[in-house]
Amino acid sequence: MNELFYISSAVAAASTIMVITRANSVHALLYLIVSLLSVAVIFYILGAPFIAALEVIIYAGAIMVLFVFVIMMLNPGPQSEKQERLLLTPRMWAGPAVLSLILISELIYALTSAGPQAATLRVVSPKDIGVSLFGPYAIGVELASILLLAGLIGVYHIAQKGRQD
Amino acid sequence: MNASDLIDLFPLIIIASFAIIIMIVNIFYRKHEVNAVLAISGLLLAFMTTAGLFGSVPGRTANLLTIDSYALFFMGLFFAATLAITALSYGYNKTHEGSHEAFYILLLIAVLGSAVLAASSHFVSFFLGLEMLSISLYALIAYRRGERSNEAGIKYLVLAGLSSSFLLFGMALVYAQTGTMEFSEIASVSSASQVRSLAMSSGVLLIIVGAGFKLALVPFHMWTPDVYEGSPAPISAFVATVSKGAVFALILRFFTLIDIQADGRFFLVFTIIAVASMFTGNLLALYQNNIKRVLAYSSIAHLGYLLVAFLSNGALAITAVSFYLTAYFITIIGAFGVITVLSRADEEREFLDQYRGLAQTHPLLSGVFTAMLLSFAGIPLTAGFIGKFYLVSAGVNSALWLLIFSLVVNSAISIFYYLRIIAALYEAVPEKMIEIPLPLAGTIAISALMLMLMCLGIYPSQLIRLIQITAATLG
Repeated sequence: MNELFYISSAVAAASTIMVITRANSVHALLYLIVSLLSVAVIFYILGAPFIAALEVIIYAGAIMVLFVFVIMMLNPGPQSEKQERLLLTPRMWAGPAVLSLILISELIYALTSAGPQAATLRVVSPKDIGVSLFGPYAIGVELASILLLAGLIGVYHIAQKGRQD
Repeated sequence: MNASDLIDLFPLIIIASFAIIIMIVNIFYRKHEVNAVLAISGLLLAFMTTAGLFGSVPGRTANLLTIDSYALFFMGLFFAATLAITALSYGYNKTHEGSHEAFYILLLIAVLGSAVLAASSHFVSFFLGLEMLSISLYALIAYRRGERSNEAGIKYLVLAGLSSSFLLFGMALVYAQTGTMEFSEIASVSSASQVRSLAMSSGVLLIIVGAGFKLALVPFHMWTPDVYEGSPAPISAFVATVSKGAVFALILRFFTLIDIQADGRFFLVFTIIAVASMFTGNLLALYQNNIKRVLAYSSIAHLGYLLVAFLSNGALAITAVSFYLTAYFITIIGAFGVITVLSRADEEREFLDQYRGLAQTHPLLSGVFTAMLLSFAGIPLTAGFIGKFYLVSAGVNSALWLLIFSLVVNSAISIFYYLRIIAALYEAVPEKMIEIPLPLAGTIAISALMLMLMCLGIYPSQLIRLIQITAATLG
């Protein structure tokens, strides 16, 4: 299982490097999605399937879709339509596609190869996570909610219109 | 978690609920006065509960927070400091129309984050507290939304994000080595098995980088002058005091537990950081004409002084740190308080030239400002003197001669630029400044700070007794 871990870590590192070196934000986002997916695979291999699923659903799913929407909505118009057509040339999607292919083959291998991964790993079930979140770490959950509130109010203030000096 | 745990957490619960109360009240009724009064009463109530809990049996709560006398002392200090800052901000915000609910809510959440840091005994609460503090500060620093405020806010956002990632990586490495995120367990694991591996040291070093950014120690100090200059004056005071004090309280707890001072390599790292902070801060302050930038550089130097006590060992070190922090809090809030009282939200009075001849028009303010600057310099009869006295005695006790030497040299250098401001205040100028009406709440706040400064300078034994109870819980 160690090899799988190293391969997906390498994919994560490679795709993150691609994220910060891309000039086009949509291409950077494609790599960012791959980077998040590879982190999800790492979680799965380490015996945390629930967190892996959350990583895919929340980060690679919801948040990334939001990102893509915002970036695409920022510059509408006929010129950007032409640009959008250029965005999906094979040269652009080949990189993320190859990296994702590595990840999915890893995942298939991990699923088909027999049973629980390494003997030393303990699989963390959703129930375990729920019990610790609302047991010993209840205060952490409360604090995180206040943290999000601070972010919300801060954004509300800064994004307000017409109160500039 | 049971009922007694909840009682221990009362100060935190009060602050959080007042933040939410302000939010709810603003749905129905938006008025600046109401928001300010709610924030002040929340802080006052939290301060009183903290004082009531102080000295009670130390309790461990819910795995993440330790509410002991040490935590309560610093929480009380942060609440009192924020109380003064809120009183100052009231007059300042009034010069700009609007109900400013976001300002007070964010201020309460920021102080909640620092209280969590003071009580934290676990990496999870460490990180959450730090992020609560930083995220509220991003918006507060950029609160005026002018060009300079936005620059300051973005600078703080980018650098704080970077330092948080250093911190997280450090925590991950320490966790990988010890298998726990609880401070006391990390301490026992690392001392039992003598974990001195490369990964452990790098982890601790990365945590130092993350904390060093928040404390604005050299070489992580680049953001300080710009952020202090760009943010509203009361928020500069908050960044200089509560935000730094909270991180210092936390690293003092953590590093005392894992006994970092005993490790020669980290001792060397901290010595270099301390000496570099003192010299860089003081030398860069020498020819500044912007008073907010002078205070920024001087706060870098003061954190360097504080490291002298941090590096000495024993209960005296904790006493020295706590006393010096208290004195520093009073002094820097007082100094920023004078700037705040004289400023308007859209136009701050921050250049030295604008203070020439202040004594003729505002004798009270220039008196307070002079007292604060003398306390920075460590002149007797002020709290700053007693603080510095404790630092030196803690350092001498542990024979840290290099640090003591640079502390003394730097105190001498710093007198130059403090006296330069005082001289400008009392300069005789041909045309008088226009006298502006002073906000009442702010004037009361800085007068109270001035009074405390003198009280602590003349009769410090009450506070020292309090601090010794504090030090006993940690030592």
